[in-house]
Amino acid sequence: MPWKDGYTTSDEKTRNDEEIQWPRGHQCAFSVVVDYRVKLDDDGTGGTDADYRIQRHPKNIELRTVNWQAEFGVKIGARRLFDLFEKYEIRATFAVPSVMADLYPDDVSQIIRRGHEVAAHGYRHEDIGSLKLEEEKALLQQTTEELEAVCGKRPAGWYSLPRQDEHYAGGQLSPHTLDLLIDAGYEYLGNGMADDIPYYWVTDFHTERNILTLPYYCHFDDQFFLMFPPIGTGMNLENPRPLSQNWKEEFDAQYLRGRYFTMFIHPHLIGWGNRLELLENMIRYIRDFPGVWNPTAIECAQYWKTQYPSSTFLKLEACIWKD
Amino acid sequence: MTANKTHVAAEPETGSNGRDDKGSMIPKYERIENFTYPEGVRLAVNFTFNLDAQLLRKLKNEPLMEIPRGEFGGRVGIWRIMDLFDRYDIKLTIFTPGRICELYPRALKEAAERGHELENLTWDKTIPADIEVEKEHIRKTTEALEKISGRRPVGTRSGHKLSLLKAEGYIYTCSTMVPDDMPGYISDDGGKNFMLCFPSSMVLNDAMYFTFGWFGGGNAANRLADPSKVYDIWLSAFRQFYKMGGYMNFILHPFDTGRSMRVAMLERLIIEMKRCPGVWFPTCEEMARYCINRFSIPSEVT
Repeated sequence: MPWKDGYTTSDEKTRNDEEIQWPRGHQCAFSVVVDYRVKLDDDGTGGTDADYRIQRHPKNIELRTVNWQAEFGVKIGARRLFDLFEKYEIRATFAVPSVMADLYPDDVSQIIRRGHEVAAHGYRHEDIGSLKLEEEKALLQQTTEELEAVCGKRPAGWYSLPRQDEHYAGGQLSPHTLDLLIDAGYEYLGNGMADDIPYYWVTDFHTERNILTLPYYCHFDDQFFLMFPPIGTGMNLENPRPLSQNWKEEFDAQYLRGRYFTMFIHPHLIGWGNRLELLENMIRYIRDFPGVWNPTAIECAQYWKTQYPSSTFLKLEACIWKD
Repeated sequence: MTANKTHVAAEPETGSNGRDDKGSMIPKYERIENFTYPEGVRLAVNFTFNLDAQLLRKLKNEPLMEIPRGEFGGRVGIWRIMDLFDRYDIKLTIFTPGRICELYPRALKEAAERGHELENLTWDKTIPADIEVEKEHIRKTTEALEKISGRRPVGTRSGHKLSLLKAEGYIYTCSTMVPDDMPGYISDDGGKNFMLCFPSSMVLNDAMYFTFGWFGGGNAANRLADPSKVYDIWLSAFRQFYKMGGYMNFILHPFDTGRSMRVAMLERLIIEMKRCPGVWFPTCEEMARYCINRFSIPSEVT
């Protein structure tokens, strides 16, 4: 049994609260991640793209497969988010499948123009867990190039967020994903669950090869509270209160500890009707706290890697595994 | 056995007269008769944690992204939980697989140094079918926990055979199968080898509220309760037990309750509990020693 392979993805212990400093004396970091993926299935009720394969080239996608949920998400929901962020001077990170840049180039480039970050979210937010190495590599390259073409710069971060209809709410990885991201020059992975601050996800314990990972937790992700589970599969449906309570209680606790809080939102969900008010209330609540740093994901990742470089701060301990 | 004792089937009942459809005995559970607390105590609360980190995720062959979800418990959650309970001077009972001694030795050593108890949660979350291998698992786990903590474990939360546990010196089991609210004794499936048993209800299990897709339950079985909702449930339970006298055994998981918002919720709960005079926060071993010294073990059922 080599080291703790398959059991552990990072070092043995997180950084203590008192060991964390944010830029210019800020008390806590707060970031917003917008999952700019909208469903591209035909029926509009929540099909999965898990069975999607790479051979389907973007140019073959006909506009009729873009359902009204996508249209609403991009044209109404996301634009409302732009306005809300502008009103409160919030900067967000948009996780964008590159097909969205292909279909909605003006809206995607607008994300950049408004001072937000565009990170990659696969070509079509497909299930990379089932792809072969060469397929995944090609897909990663295609995604990166397409986003670069529309945004004018290469995306620095990669997200692999979960979908509403998956059995596990953590997102998908293949055994190759992290190494491919490092090879392709990505600076960070946007969603990991081993910590609630940025941390290093180690891909090889001998060389300490790693990629900076930002924390994700489904309890702060709107898609699991708004019309969830998908219609016809459960009875909880609309749960705005647990969502806002989770956001508020985690922010309160992380602020006191001086750590980090991220909310994950979807334009086609949170951008509708009274839900937007829920988001606005939360943002107003957070803005009343002094010393909250609101970086984009790449700013946070770069700060962390400079302040707490893995060469010094990643502490992988010897394996005592005996068999 | 006398007729007025409480008998609860410890496993889902499959037959009548204490026998399943193959005619074998099913385990027996008997409440301790005439149980009383020490002078001045109205209620005992055991805070137990199951630190299995990523072993179960791995064993169940969950997707790659799920491993770090469990890992959070070992590298983040357990540390802040220790800090919380230390502030209120409450000692924890931490059930952990022997394997975790190899994955998180620092956290476990520190827990022991701070006076928390480490107890047996199997070797690697499996119960071997072969009895010799099972014996080996119990022995290895006992040794690993003793080596890391300097204290020999005497309790378990597992499906190990009671006879094997007894042979290794175990004196109590924390069952998740018996939904009682007072301590008792449980037998093996031969009606023998009664062992002190601390029951619990799933009501006091954080995973019921916070673990998305628990045991592969899928997204329709999502568990996304906010901390305040669970605080209300647990505080009501506490108030009721405080009024009527009872026993509470919380089953908590560092990867769930170790999240900041839930540690904060648990702190509010502890503050409320500490306001009430006569609440005892023993470790499970302390509770076990008290019961064993004071009350008799039931006779074996044949």
